[in-house]
Amino acid sequence: MKLKLRPAHYLILLGGALFFVFPLMAAVEFSLRTNQGKSYGLANYRWFLHQDGFRPNLFMSFKLAALTAVLVLALMVPTVVYTHLGGAKWRRLIEFICLVPLVVPVVSFAIGAITAMPTLLQSTPYELSFLYVIISLPYTYRALDVGLSSVPLTTLVEASRSIGASSRHTLQFVVIPSIRSAVNGAIFLAIALSLGEFTLAVLLHWDTFPTWINNVSQDNVLGAISLSVFALFGAIFIVLIVALAPNIRKSEKIEESA
Amino acid sequence: MSTFEAATAAGTSGGGSLTLTKATRPHKIKGKRSSLLPLVPFFAFVGYFLIYPLFTVSKDAFLDNSGHFTLANFSQAFHGVYAQGFLLSMRLSLASALVSAVIGAALASAIVRIGQQSRKVLVAIASVLANTGGVPLAFMFIASFGAQGLVTKALKFAGIDLYAGRFTLFSFMGLLLVYCFFQIPLMVLIFSPALENVRPEWREANDSLGGSKVDYFKNVSVPLLFPAFLSTTLLLFANAFSAYATARAMTAGQMPLVPLLIGNLVDGNVIANQEHLGHALAVVMIGVSLVVMSMYLVVLRLTKSRS
Repeated sequence: MKLKLRPAHYLILLGGALFFVFPLMAAVEFSLRTNQGKSYGLANYRWFLHQDGFRPNLFMSFKLAALTAVLVLALMVPTVVYTHLGGAKWRRLIEFICLVPLVVPVVSFAIGAITAMPTLLQSTPYELSFLYVIISLPYTYRALDVGLSSVPLTTLVEASRSIGASSRHTLQFVVIPSIRSAVNGAIFLAIALSLGEFTLAVLLHWDTFPTWINNVSQDNVLGAISLSVFALFGAIFIVLIVALAPNIRKSEKIEESA
Repeated sequence: MSTFEAATAAGTSGGGSLTLTKATRPHKIKGKRSSLLPLVPFFAFVGYFLIYPLFTVSKDAFLDNSGHFTLANFSQAFHGVYAQGFLLSMRLSLASALVSAVIGAALASAIVRIGQQSRKVLVAIASVLANTGGVPLAFMFIASFGAQGLVTKALKFAGIDLYAGRFTLFSFMGLLLVYCFFQIPLMVLIFSPALENVRPEWREANDSLGGSKVDYFKNVSVPLLFPAFLSTTLLLFANAFSAYATARAMTAGQMPLVPLLIGNLVDGNVIANQEHLGHALAVVMIGVSLVVMSMYLVVLRLTKSRS
């Protein structure tokens, strides 16, 4: 049973596409200008690739993203699994806490972090990862909660326990594989958020890829536009790979079982 | 409280599979009472990295520079440039939330009708666009809608001069346009699940009972989708209200939006020794967000009791 697309829907889609494609295309056009706009080339892209800050800052953002993803998994998977098993009582409270970061503007949260966090933590850029875990809570909790609601978790855990598996083994070999796509979703959300986060990084005075783009934009406008194009299409590329990947695995599974 | 809950559970049918698994669940896994122990890491982490910073901000907002209790920070936060900042921030957030909610809902209603695979691609791209902001977003709009932008030039060629009136990208209308670029995709992302819960069978039921398009819209679509629509709109408001990177990249200090005012105080760019004023502004911002979210709760309760 499928809803049909009517002419009005095509018009809406077309209008939406234009609104989003024009700025992207315009940025691409600007990024390819060389010789004061007289010809086109890749000079602006070469420029930022050879900047001293390009690699270390990109690498820094990737490291922060990786740490954030690890922290999110270690913290949230056992917690959400537990609320679906014995700890249903705590579910509402945990759900409420996970939504708090949506209500708190990031600027306010940044001020709190500056005032409250000890100097030991504030002397390393990795403090950002701990804060990224907090601001990604609404999204990661949601992803895991929806994933766990769709599997018969109690039955799975009982089966695993009855054949003698420990809690850790149950989590590792039964629960996590059965919610693989939800776990992937949570990881992906955490990574995307850490790679693009600007406010906390700049207010806590750390250099990451987004803050570096901001600094560079003051010297070379066309270079900064090409850097923006690079960052944006890079992000779209990564997201599309993640979005389309599970299908490949599914079709493999079907082949295996056939 | 739960904006996402409403977004996904707008259709009553949405919770169907969930209650089913609960009902068929044979018995609780453990006989003994649930212990708090497995939740200790979570509560410790959230307590230290979320609750403790928020508590510190709220406490410091009531202190003067020598550490005594005062309400002066708040009275300053409600006057002069700061009061203007709050008004401007709220106007911009409200306008961008309303415009993006309407356009985003229309887009979402078209997107849920297209094929599975292309929908997946669009949703993935929307998740990137919803997170764009700051300098990259500013440059895209300067390149397209700026005075030398491609769209501006194309429109001029077609006889429409964008810059004939008072429009600039760095004015209220310009910011509104830029904010739509990340607000509309966010609306599409959060509102689509609610639309997916609308069953074609309900439309058929309406038609076979002799209901018109208007009847369907009035009696089915609107009551069903209104809570999700409203909650997502409020979420968009909160999203625009707290946007910092884009505001910073677009306004160059011309528009006194609250996040920028706070950022300036934190960086000590303005006057030293005013950090407690920054704390007070941060607390008022949280307060505005809280009011918006409670409004959502009230409306949700009203719509529930009526049906």
